[in-house]
Amino acid sequence: MPRVYITGLGFVTSIGNDAATVTTHLRELRHGFELYPPFQKPEIPCKVVGTIKGFTADSTDPEDWTFPDRYRIKRELLRSMAPNGLFAHCAMLQAIEDARLVEADISEPATGLYAASGGSPMLTHYHHERLYKQGVMRCSPLGIVASIVGTLNFNLVAAFKIHGASCGFSSACASSAHALGFAFDEIALGRQHRMFVVGAEDGNTDAILPFAGMRTLSLQPDPNLASRPFDAGRDGFVGTGGGTVVVLESEDEVARRGVRPYAEVLGWGQASDGHNVAISHPEGTGSAAAMTLALRASGVAPEQVDYVNAHATSTVIGDVSEARALRSVFGDHLAKVAVSSTKALTGHGLSLAGAMESAFCALAVRDGFIPGCAHLTKVDPECAGLNLPRTTEARAPGIVMKNSSGFGGANVALVFRRIS
Amino acid sequence: MPDAGSTSSVTQKSAPLPAKPFAPEDESALREALKRCSPSTFEAAVQFRKTGNPEHVPAVVIGVIERFVEPDLRMKLKDADDDLRLIEDLGIDSLTMMEIVILVEDVLQMSINNDELRNLRTVGDVKTFIDCKIRGLPLPKPTKFIPIEHIGAVMPIQPPFLFLNEASVSSTAANGKYKISGQEFFLQGHFKDNPVMPASIMLEALGQLAVLYLLEGAPTEPGKMVSPQTIFFTGCEGVRAHRVCKPGDILSLSIKPKRMKMPLATFEGSIRVGQEKAVIAEEITLTFGIVDAANAPVPINGVGVAHGEPVVTAPEPAVVPTPIRAAMNG
Repeated sequence: MPRVYITGLGFVTSIGNDAATVTTHLRELRHGFELYPPFQKPEIPCKVVGTIKGFTADSTDPEDWTFPDRYRIKRELLRSMAPNGLFAHCAMLQAIEDARLVEADISEPATGLYAASGGSPMLTHYHHERLYKQGVMRCSPLGIVASIVGTLNFNLVAAFKIHGASCGFSSACASSAHALGFAFDEIALGRQHRMFVVGAEDGNTDAILPFAGMRTLSLQPDPNLASRPFDAGRDGFVGTGGGTVVVLESEDEVARRGVRPYAEVLGWGQASDGHNVAISHPEGTGSAAAMTLALRASGVAPEQVDYVNAHATSTVIGDVSEARALRSVFGDHLAKVAVSSTKALTGHGLSLAGAMESAFCALAVRDGFIPGCAHLTKVDPECAGLNLPRTTEARAPGIVMKNSSGFGGANVALVFRRIS
Repeated sequence: MPDAGSTSSVTQKSAPLPAKPFAPEDESALREALKRCSPSTFEAAVQFRKTGNPEHVPAVVIGVIERFVEPDLRMKLKDADDDLRLIEDLGIDSLTMMEIVILVEDVLQMSINNDELRNLRTVGDVKTFIDCKIRGLPLPKPTKFIPIEHIGAVMPIQPPFLFLNEASVSSTAANGKYKISGQEFFLQGHFKDNPVMPASIMLEALGQLAVLYLLEGAPTEPGKMVSPQTIFFTGCEGVRAHRVCKPGDILSLSIKPKRMKMPLATFEGSIRVGQEKAVIAEEITLTFGIVDAANAPVPINGVGVAHGEPVVTAPEPAVVPTPIRAAMNG
């Protein structure tokens, strides 16, 4: 089975729009939160968002959007994009440059693209309102491909002329972790030799606010306190958007192109809670099963894992569930495994989370650090026993696990290894 | 995936002229709708909405098209003639065409249905079309693509003397293609060990395209049609050959009617190979007759009165007049 490597990354995130800035934020535990202007109204109870800097994509008209000068995007491409498509398109350009790919490497039958976003609730709302008010035939012909779930893969596959496998993934907050897992399979099974894995979200009012109805958003107005996974004072997650791209390549392609990978992807696993549409299993059974399968598939024993980038979103139920799952998987070795959730810095990127945090793991593995638990002051007693470093550790983790969980009790675990 | 833009619409009401007076709030809505268009586009739209005068329509239509064309291609619109093609020259795809239509509909307060839209190929087609809608005139006949089988079925001329592989015909022009296969019987002798398409045959091919136009594109009164048996060549003027055409070349033929007055129809014609000019004919004149559609003769297949005779008299390759041959080589 061909081995699979991470060879390129691209970021448009609340903690930076390039790998260097993101790395600095992760090392120094600097968050990307702000009081989000559209939320500063008395009728909106949550206030803080992990905002994307340097981009404005609030308008329903893509021609109003602004983005850094280094990106040139034709109207022909912009017109069918959602904000998450814009973020991901820019992250794609970075990842292509970072992996030193040329056009012949991108647009060919053995290069594919798997993507995940929640679609664009803002544009769905806008186009449906137009449909009802102005009539069906006065609607933008591109309203559908700009707004439905799948908009991300439709746009990227067309814009970058992808000829290999392409698919969108929809398992809510586990979506882009699923995308990465299945992209690994494509290469491991020899069907493709290169895969782009993309996660992105709009991260605006329409994408985030509906979670308030579920009472899962933090109502904490202080950006320094709103997102604190595993902390006793946590009260919900902070929303964010952006886009992240991870380039996976086979060992043959790595050798042929002579590139230095960030990390190796060893394997992955997934399992479901079979419990509740929106609430994690209290004992984290699905998450534990996913981790166990991932370790087995990777040929790794629990005690070999140095760091777990947790799914922990800073919700009351979810973090405890994952803590229990970690306890059951790592048992006696629990104290040896450093655990942190970088959502304390970025906020919860929903469909973006899995790809974004996997990319963080790739940075940590290559650059030799373990991100600490930002904003953690008093550990929730229910999460006791976890090794939760308060500051970033300057040691290189050899083996890293990334957890992601989504609605319906879908759980994914991915395992990465440092290149020695 | 459904073919974007090709779904048929339900029939919509056609609104030839704006009904209600132009109010200040209409002007601000218009300004918002045209915010990415030139100021002159907005001015023309205001004038049209206030007066209903169709003279302002072309400026609005061109202004809206310009707004949707990539900036580096916009120069082409500045001094464009009506033959500028939307897809090939301006890079407008079917989805952009719909964006254009939706904005034009919005600004001119009219409705266009998808079936009508599909027939618009050039800037001229769009201008004519919108103008007819505004004035409440009947719409021009759409460009018809005519495959080889249909050409054979309607034409009085038949193989091995038919020099059209495919054609498209509108009410204002006809275009066709012919690939010189090398198997044409006359190439054996024209010339010895050097097959060259006779210029006279190329003129014949243009004449055949003009025949097809008369049969398929020429506007006739209801219930009447041009009879295939009545079409004959009468004369041509200003014929020049510019390029030697050989087996493998694909001739792109086009003709446009210049004058139509019973019983004569005069066309201008040209042939290109790729971007290269091959033959120009300033005038080709045919004579034709009209019959009742009900009494139309059954399409001729292989035998018939008109078979082989009409259109340009085709001299045997061996007797190609020297001047033409000289022109071709020079």
